[in-house]
Amino acid sequence: MDLCRRLVLALAALSAWATPVAAQRPLTVQGVRSLTFGTLLAGVNKSVLRTDAINGGQFDISGPSRASVLLTFTLPASMAGPGGATLPLSFGSKDGGWSPPQQIGTQTGFDPRAPFTAPLDQNGKVSAYLGGTAQPTANQRAGSYTGTITLTVVVLP
Amino acid sequence: MKRLMQPSLALVALVAGLVSSAAAQSNSGSITATAQVQQPINVLGAVNLSFGNVFPGVNKAVLLTDAGAGRFDVTGQASTPVNLAFTSLPTNLANGGNNLPVAFSSGYNTANSAAGATSFAPGSGASTSLSGTGALFVFLGGTVTPAVNQAAGTYTGTVTLQVTY
Repeated sequence: MDLCRRLVLALAALSAWATPVAAQRPLTVQGVRSLTFGTLLAGVNKSVLRTDAINGGQFDISGPSRASVLLTFTLPASMAGPGGATLPLSFGSKDGGWSPPQQIGTQTGFDPRAPFTAPLDQNGKVSAYLGGTAQPTANQRAGSYTGTITLTVVVLP
Repeated sequence: MKRLMQPSLALVALVAGLVSSAAAQSNSGSITATAQVQQPINVLGAVNLSFGNVFPGVNKAVLLTDAGAGRFDVTGQASTPVNLAFTSLPTNLANGGNNLPVAFSSGYNTANSAAGATSFAPGSGASTSLSGTGALFVFLGGTVTPAVNQAAGTYTGTVTLQVTY
């Protein structure tokens, strides 16, 4: 009987402990701005900086206050264009960045090719940025090219 | 004893569930990467500027609309602005060591029609746009001024047009 009572108390304690977890802000990841290379000429590389507030890629992340999150980009090796043509893309070791929300000018850089840990602020927010380089070949087919960049975020325990 | 084990297992299951829900928060979002590759510019020297026979001391002009006028055919990205510049524009046609002074006139049109061309000074260049099909025609005329003692012979020169987006 005593053991059963202790278990009930333990369950009650666990329930009390579990409450803050259930109340945590849910994790959201929003693609805010595309990575836009604009007009390219065949054979001429073009880079977009992660600090470019117009053409640089941006994600806004929201989750538990002051949590650490693991950012993992899925980066395409190329963009797809007309008639099956592809346009090579590359990402360098400084092409990823994070900052407190909407503060693109105060980024901390990181290598987007590898998972990276960033902190959410007291409001549970952080922004992630991405630059890159498009590398059209000398005989690159004219037309529009697109690719998809995905950011997966995991709240670390 | 058996009754006591059941709540214990339930407790373990609950703890595992709580830990799992706390550690498994994951989400993803996507953006697109976009680019527009322009059609390369091609410039073809389609028709030479030809003054035909000229006589010493007699100037001869070829208008943009004349049969002897030169023409460059330009193709590229439709409806796109371009800059025209003559990077080689001789002041003389040459025949060995003899020179024949020449001056040029020029105009452009999105249609292959010199009559509707917009004139511009060859030395200054011009800015315009390719047609909706990516075409542009640049016409070249000029005037040669042979001296009264101009040596007989065939005089030639090279005119080069550069077109850039």
